[in-house]
Amino acid sequence: MRSKSAPWILLAPFLVVFISTMIVPILMAIGYSFSSIERSGLLGEGGVTRSFAGVENYVAALSNANFIESIGRMILFGIVQVTVMIVAATLLALLLESASAKFPGFFRATYFLPYGIPGVIATILWSYLYIPGLSPIVDVLGLVGINIDFLGPNMVLWSIANIVTWTYTGYNMLIIIAQLKAIPGELYEAAKIDGAGAFKVATSIQLPLIRPALMLTIIFSIIGTLQLFAEPQLLQSMSAGITSEYTPNMSAYAFAFQYNDIGMAAAQAVIIAVSAFALSAIALGISSWTEKRR
Amino acid sequence: MTLTYWSWFKDLQKVCDIFNEKQDRIRVEATWISGEDYAKILSAVAAGGGPDIGHVDMRSVPEFALAGALVDLTRYGFAEQEDQFAPSAISQVNIENSFWAVPQDYGPVATFYNREVLEDELGLTPPATWEEFHETAGAVSETGKSLISLDPGDGFMPIAWVMQAGAVWFRPESDGWIVNMTDDASIRVAEFWDQILAEKIIGTGYGAFTTPWYAAAGEGKVLAAIGGSWSDALIKTVPDGHGKWAVAPMPVWQDGRGYASAVQGSSSGVILSNSQHPLEALEFLTWMSTDPESIDAMIEYSGIGWSTAKDYIGKARQQPSEFFSGQNYNEEVMVPMAEGQNLEWTWAPLMQRVSTIIGDGMTAAVNGEIPLTDMFANAQTEIVEIMREIGLDAEEAR
Repeated sequence: MRSKSAPWILLAPFLVVFISTMIVPILMAIGYSFSSIERSGLLGEGGVTRSFAGVENYVAALSNANFIESIGRMILFGIVQVTVMIVAATLLALLLESASAKFPGFFRATYFLPYGIPGVIATILWSYLYIPGLSPIVDVLGLVGINIDFLGPNMVLWSIANIVTWTYTGYNMLIIIAQLKAIPGELYEAAKIDGAGAFKVATSIQLPLIRPALMLTIIFSIIGTLQLFAEPQLLQSMSAGITSEYTPNMSAYAFAFQYNDIGMAAAQAVIIAVSAFALSAIALGISSWTEKRR
Repeated sequence: MTLTYWSWFKDLQKVCDIFNEKQDRIRVEATWISGEDYAKILSAVAAGGGPDIGHVDMRSVPEFALAGALVDLTRYGFAEQEDQFAPSAISQVNIENSFWAVPQDYGPVATFYNREVLEDELGLTPPATWEEFHETAGAVSETGKSLISLDPGDGFMPIAWVMQAGAVWFRPESDGWIVNMTDDASIRVAEFWDQILAEKIIGTGYGAFTTPWYAAAGEGKVLAAIGGSWSDALIKTVPDGHGKWAVAPMPVWQDGRGYASAVQGSSSGVILSNSQHPLEALEFLTWMSTDPESIDAMIEYSGIGWSTAKDYIGKARQQPSEFFSGQNYNEEVMVPMAEGQNLEWTWAPLMQRVSTIIGDGMTAAVNGEIPLTDMFANAQTEIVEIMREIGLDAEEAR
């Protein structure tokens, strides 16, 4: 009996915090997403009642043009940004791990450095490089006749993508490097004996063997894309292109805390969570499917 | 007894301490929160806690009331204190015979402009009417500069324009709301700005007092800001601005329709529904907004935009300002702006959302998609629908 209760006693502190700060809020959010509020009087002073609304909030969320648009925007953002970032991280990792790399330790640390800067600070730093009149980049481009408005409605999404890429490329690179380090030396030796060059080694040995790390970074990035919040929220005050429902998370935030519509916000949050889950599952599915075909 | 007060005013404790020293019944303790922290107040109240007093801008007061977070001050006899406040301030927290907040600070709109560049360099005068604004903005844009720069996403800017023109978008009627965003005044404003936007004679990339705005204003490329009275403190941080700027009234409509000015930005003290001491909280809040000593302290420590008390603007504001080229702008310009307000205007319990819809609409108008004239009509339909969704009784004006 004693031996059975020991793990639970040891786990208890964790479980209490986990259940009260993760499980309960998630269950409450799911509950709220199925409820709606009825009011009477000018400001609801005549009474407020919360009632079961079925899937009404979900229907409203999915028929809200701004919310759908924000999801579309994130999908476009994800396709471009995640691809660019993963390709860049892989290339950097392969270059740093190649035999001819100089000072790999120094460059690994340098590339990883942006990840140590919080997203909010990174956004503020970059905003100074985007703002016309302050930015040396805009000034130099202007001198050679290129007038670019990084914060304009059509550009700002890619300016955000740039910040995200800058922050996370080094982090993803490190995950890939960790996997590269795990490749046994005999494989390289065998390849060398067979006469394979550096390029052949990369495409035939390294890339196939780091597939699990690539999968992991891609899934993290997909989840990260759907959660995009801090960067656009901060840039909002500087760019005319960012509306208050620019990303799905900003939309949920606006409904919860600006529009006072908890049911709708909860429904949107659940949709975001389920989408992240579904996209990750699809990514994993594609991965295992290609694995089987080999 | 101790009252807790969550506020974004800086150094508010110094103002509270003046009150604390005057008597020994009530002690007020201020805690600073960010101006965007409404979520924090509402969550605290929803969880059964929170402070006695909260700090909310006047346009968001009905939203707080709708969330069930406020005490109706008329229950504690606040209506009798009405006379101590400027009518333009107190009318903003009054919804059909109920007062939901004690006004503390607001921003009558005026024109803040770079006199050195506009008058001395370009030989122009600050526009007295909107018709002149059109001409002046055109003349300035021909020199490669901008008269003003707007953040099209800021929906409260067009709201200030229509408020001045005489519109009343939200009218409480018995138990419901009449939404009217397409009256003559609103359409006039929409048509005017549609033309300004089509001619591209003002900046639309960023709003006043943002980082890019300061950069441009410091170089003399943006010459003015039409905004709340609190803009004066922000203008003072324009690089190299000392002695160059001045203040003029908000442009009015040439035919004399509408009002002298409008309101942009405000704050008020609300008593939250979990407070155990609403009567004492009201006593403190009334003192804070009407006692001359407190008003002077709020100007000095907290930098309030404009006093909401009747007939007292604060000692510091009765003198000429060295920064604004020796102009006594508070008495000369701001007092008439504060008095010439649209007293019919009422804030609806979803202003955040209204401002988002209007801001998104103006962004679309700037990009040439839908003119403001159509946007106001579409917004009216959408807003009535949303009001019904959140359980209110609302209809479009006929």
